Amino acid sequence: MSDLHNRSQTSARRGDYVWQYEYYDDEEPVSFEGLKAHRYSIVIGFWVGLAVFVIFMFFVLTLLTKTGAPHQENSDSAEKRQQPGSCMVDFTVSQQRNEKAFSRPLLMGPHSYFHFYIKEEDQAEGTQRNTGATGVGKTHKDGGAQQGTCSQNGGTSYSGMDDIEEDVEAAGGHPSLKEIMDESKTDRECASLSPFNIPNYVNMEPNSTGADDTEDESSIVLERQSYPRDVCCDIH
Amino acid sequence: MDYNISMNTSSVVQSDCPEVRVPVSVFTTIGLVSLAENFLVVVAVIRNSNLHSPMYCFICSLAAFNTVASLTKTFETLMIAFADSGTLEKTGSSETKLDDIIDSLLCMSFVGSISSFLAIAVDRYITIFHALRYHNIMTMQRTRAVLAIIWSTCGLSAILMVRFFDSTFIMIYFVIFFLLSLAIICFLYIFIFMLARIHARKIASLPSSGGRRWQWRGSSMRGALTLTILVGTFVVCWAPFFLHLIIIMVCPTNPYCECYRSLFQLHMLLLMSHALIDPAIYAFRSAELRQTFRRMLLCSNWRQCV
Repeated sequence: MSDLHNRSQTSARRGDYVWQYEYYDDEEPVSFEGLKAHRYSIVIGFWVGLAVFVIFMFFVLTLLTKTGAPHQENSDSAEKRQQPGSCMVDFTVSQQRNEKAFSRPLLMGPHSYFHFYIKEEDQAEGTQRNTGATGVGKTHKDGGAQQGTCSQNGGTSYSGMDDIEEDVEAAGGHPSLKEIMDESKTDRECASLSPFNIPNYVNMEPNSTGADDTEDESSIVLERQSYPRDVCCDIH
Repeated sequence: MDYNISMNTSSVVQSDCPEVRVPVSVFTTIGLVSLAENFLVVVAVIRNSNLHSPMYCFICSLAAFNTVASLTKTFETLMIAFADSGTLEKTGSSETKLDDIIDSLLCMSFVGSISSFLAIAVDRYITIFHALRYHNIMTMQRTRAVLAIIWSTCGLSAILMVRFFDSTFIMIYFVIFFLLSLAIICFLYIFIFMLARIHARKIASLPSSGGRRWQWRGSSMRGALTLTILVGTFVVCWAPFFLHLIIIMVCPTNPYCECYRSLFQLHMLLLMSHALIDPAIYAFRSAELRQTFRRMLLCSNWRQCV
């Protein structure tokens, strides 16, 4: 009994509390004999798999840019259903204005959006960015003065990705509330135009990577004939 | 992250895969830099009333979680350094409690970061696909409610995780949560990207667009690159840690698994560096936030500046 007592006291005294970074139990040594593959094979395999995944994802995304995707109808028809038909129309035929309608496919409703999308808030910056715009869907350079507020608001509405890349120009002058409301209204009207265009477009949706242009053009001609209107720019 | 009580120092295991140790200075530097960055993001969002919108609230929440993570991790690294050098007392209960608190906070911030990524992805999805109803769907009250839910869930799950860490159920839950979030995030972003490409193609194919076709290709590449960076950094920084958890559950004694586990500190370093990278890919993309930063940092008189 005293032996036991002595032994337990000794071990308690000799006990070292080691502050370590390990989860597993150190008292069971892992045998490293007879390993067939390299020691770090799991590590290597994991990182190779991860690299392949990321590169694969990148290539899939770049391929998607060439072929497009069939989900468009669902999302666009959903957008259309959401519209209570509030589009205010002004039946003026203008090629540039229709193009501008195309440049606003999605929308610009709330002003918090402006933080997410490209926004040109003052005219001075706006014109500069207009001339310097690089991405598609930015404000048209063609129209010039007649583009009115739609193009001035600037947002590239379609692409969250492009807007993530570009600087979100919600900074600078803090626009007054009235301006923001006007812009929102304008943008909402601009946006309400687009879903009406798209159903026609859907029928002509090209599936091949090849002759996109001709098919798109013919669909655009169809649309122009059926929806010759401009919403946005007659407001100002 | 845990401490191991070893009763007999002479039986330290000599393995062929020695644990890879990252110097304390590296951990501390990364921790402090990411703490400063994320804290500045939080302060900038709070101080600038332009940034009181749902999107920025989620970015601020992400930055707050990263701040907590960086702070906790740096504190823990310093504590361990002091303990190793003998400055700290290595007694039982108070160190254990402190360690538990540190673990809870770390778990909370990990779960919170993932939830914030999810919230940001859903917010962007709603922004694009329900554009006109965005203002009605995503009101500030709902945003606050979502954030309250996220924070309370994270706190609760952190406490539960640490209390019941021994049970594998918790770890399984953690891993499933991560995989599910990853799948949802990938799905949302790719959906957004596809719609963006469709519209870009439409616009590029307009007759007057002419030379825009080339610009569109360029912007498509940039979009693909941005998305790859967003999802890629998330996966690269978080997956090693979660594989570590899986390996602990599945094969604790397998030598291959042990070699993977020996890299634990490197994986924690990756997690920390994700907190460092996050502001660059989420917060600093916004010009408004960058301007707020510049005003905050360069302006001597704070009352005038912000």
